[in-house]
Amino acid sequence: MAARFSTRLVALIAVLFIALGCAGGPGSPGWTPGSGTAAPFLTPAPTPTPEQTAPAFPVTITDDEGTAVTIAAEPRKIVSLTPATTETLFALGVGDRVVAKVEDVAGYPPEADAIPVVATFAGVDVEKIVSLGADLVVSGGTGLSQGPAVEQLRRADIPVVVSYPTTIDQAIAGFRTLGQAVGAADAGNTLADDTKSRLDELAASVANVAHKPRLFYEIDVSNGIFTPPAESIYGEMFALAGADPISGAANYSISLEDLVAADPEVILLGDAAYGAKPEDVGKRPGWGDMTAVQEGDIFPIDDIIVTRPGPRLVDGLAALIAAIHPEVASASTAPSGAPSAAP
Amino acid sequence: MTALATTRLRLGGRSRIARRPLALAGLGLGVLALVLVAGVAAGSVFVPPGDTLAILAHRLLGLDIPMTWSRAEEVIVVDLRLPRVLTAMTVGAGLAVAGATFQGVLRNPLADPYVLGTASGAALGAAIAVIVPVRTVFLEFGLLHGLAFLGALGAVFLVYRLSRVGGHGQMTSLLLTGYAVGSLLAAGLAMAMYLSGTNLRQIFSYLLGGFDAASWGRLATSLPLVLGASALVLMRARSLNGFLLGEEAAAHLGIDVRRERAILLGLASLATAAAVAVSGLIGFVGLVAPHVVRLAVGPNARLVLPLAALFGAILMIAADLAARLAGEIPVGVVTAVIGAPFFLVLLRRTRAGYEL
Repeated sequence: MAARFSTRLVALIAVLFIALGCAGGPGSPGWTPGSGTAAPFLTPAPTPTPEQTAPAFPVTITDDEGTAVTIAAEPRKIVSLTPATTETLFALGVGDRVVAKVEDVAGYPPEADAIPVVATFAGVDVEKIVSLGADLVVSGGTGLSQGPAVEQLRRADIPVVVSYPTTIDQAIAGFRTLGQAVGAADAGNTLADDTKSRLDELAASVANVAHKPRLFYEIDVSNGIFTPPAESIYGEMFALAGADPISGAANYSISLEDLVAADPEVILLGDAAYGAKPEDVGKRPGWGDMTAVQEGDIFPIDDIIVTRPGPRLVDGLAALIAAIHPEVASASTAPSGAPSAAP
Repeated sequence: MTALATTRLRLGGRSRIARRPLALAGLGLGVLALVLVAGVAAGSVFVPPGDTLAILAHRLLGLDIPMTWSRAEEVIVVDLRLPRVLTAMTVGAGLAVAGATFQGVLRNPLADPYVLGTASGAALGAAIAVIVPVRTVFLEFGLLHGLAFLGALGAVFLVYRLSRVGGHGQMTSLLLTGYAVGSLLAAGLAMAMYLSGTNLRQIFSYLLGGFDAASWGRLATSLPLVLGASALVLMRARSLNGFLLGEEAAAHLGIDVRRERAILLGLASLATAAAVAVSGLIGFVGLVAPHVVRLAVGPNARLVLPLAALFGAILMIAADLAARLAGEIPVGVVTAVIGAPFFLVLLRRTRAGYEL
């Protein structure tokens, strides 16, 4: 009796889990506790200002969980437990100091390929991190199920900075924090300023478009329909890209009826990497009459650059604009990572 | 009436009854020591066995040994592996004793520590803890552990009270109430998971169970609860033996059936709740460990309870070790994969019919 009950329970859980699992991979903001408040249109974030004159170390920074973390000396052996952090560390020019990293489905940047993997979907190999003599660990925190590992590493006196930005501004502020943490405060500030100005520039290019098309961004449809809520980095990106997004609930779900009623004008397939094809969308029962299907405005998109809160958010925004406002995108030079606008 | 008597007949006399459990206990302790050492010595990082022993002697026995090991190795052995292995031992022993108790009191071979809604209650508690945006830590117990503990106990209490309303506390009524309440709580859990949105992964990893979050602090909180409750159950082995004969027979033996039943179920639930609070839901050990022991020594609770604790601890440590070496796969999967074939072989080898 008990066995049968738990089998059913596990099956139910597995189904729910797999369905939502696609709502955010490692590095997606989806896995963070508390969705946070959506930042208004890229208002300046309260960013820690590094003291240029003071010696860089020891430095105390406040991480995304509000924990004050003191780093005694410039870290030489950094462990990155979020894919976004790996990208940011390489962008800061300290990639050569990363001794271990989390598994990354995107395999970016390619220079990080040879770095040993100490964390996967299943968990973090704390023993390995300790044995590597790590002197700084950047973790996704509880949101990535790394809570127990964070506890254990901190008990072992290894400084752990938790990074789980829930807004674009927080992600950009994180570049500065991380720069300070690794002794590259200037590079961190430059990266943050650069990212922000490029995002602003891209956003400005579509700020005055005549029509903001109703956008459906597909995360998964294999078991229920999943699309991001407005209060997420996704939601912010869609707004910046000049779209009128059809938002999901806080658990990323949306009913087919609501979707049909909302009648998307553009459909972006964030699940293209998992096999979703534009030509199949119209064949799904109930989808055929949507404007996007009728007009053929269905495009695959690289979900990772749209949502991974690292330096490539710029590429993600460019890709979104290229798909949603091809007329604007073709006017400027297409940045790397932009998909072809043709289906 | 028959179960005890036939076992004695089958085993042929008192002397052999007395010797076999002793030998088994000795063997069990030996194997336990072996898996304990293996659990501490093995892991994803290789620490030389000599260093492992030296570190343990240095830290636990206070021996003044020259440091031939690195600080990292010491952290790995003392702060990461040791609490984890000891937590697995505690949880395995606690679940086995709880399972033996539930099976005995309910006289149902399918009973396990989770049969009266403990699992659903704990899971719902954990899920609620994940959803509410509050973080508290008390004795290294976060909200998740605390609510899982309370949820498990609350569910059993509810089941017990509800089953007594309708009748006179019959076993069938208790089991079915447990099933009904469990289903209701499972529905609540499913709803909580649906609402949890992006925090689903945390709930999921609790449901799978595991020891990766083990720490000295959590061990220090759960160990006294689990071992204390188990020891108290052991002291009531006579009552448990009485229940095996049936409630009427137990009453004739001078056992206060209602009181003893409430106490035994309460203690078993306490051990279960403390175990699942630290480890999450790990199945199979609590169901099978008591049966394995009964197949070997017969149904006498005085023997079954301590030996089941021993076997449960061994199985859990071994399963956790295998899970770690295989790259942190869920422990519950390993307990079933190791335990089920072992149990099947044992069942088939037992020529005489096996009854609880």
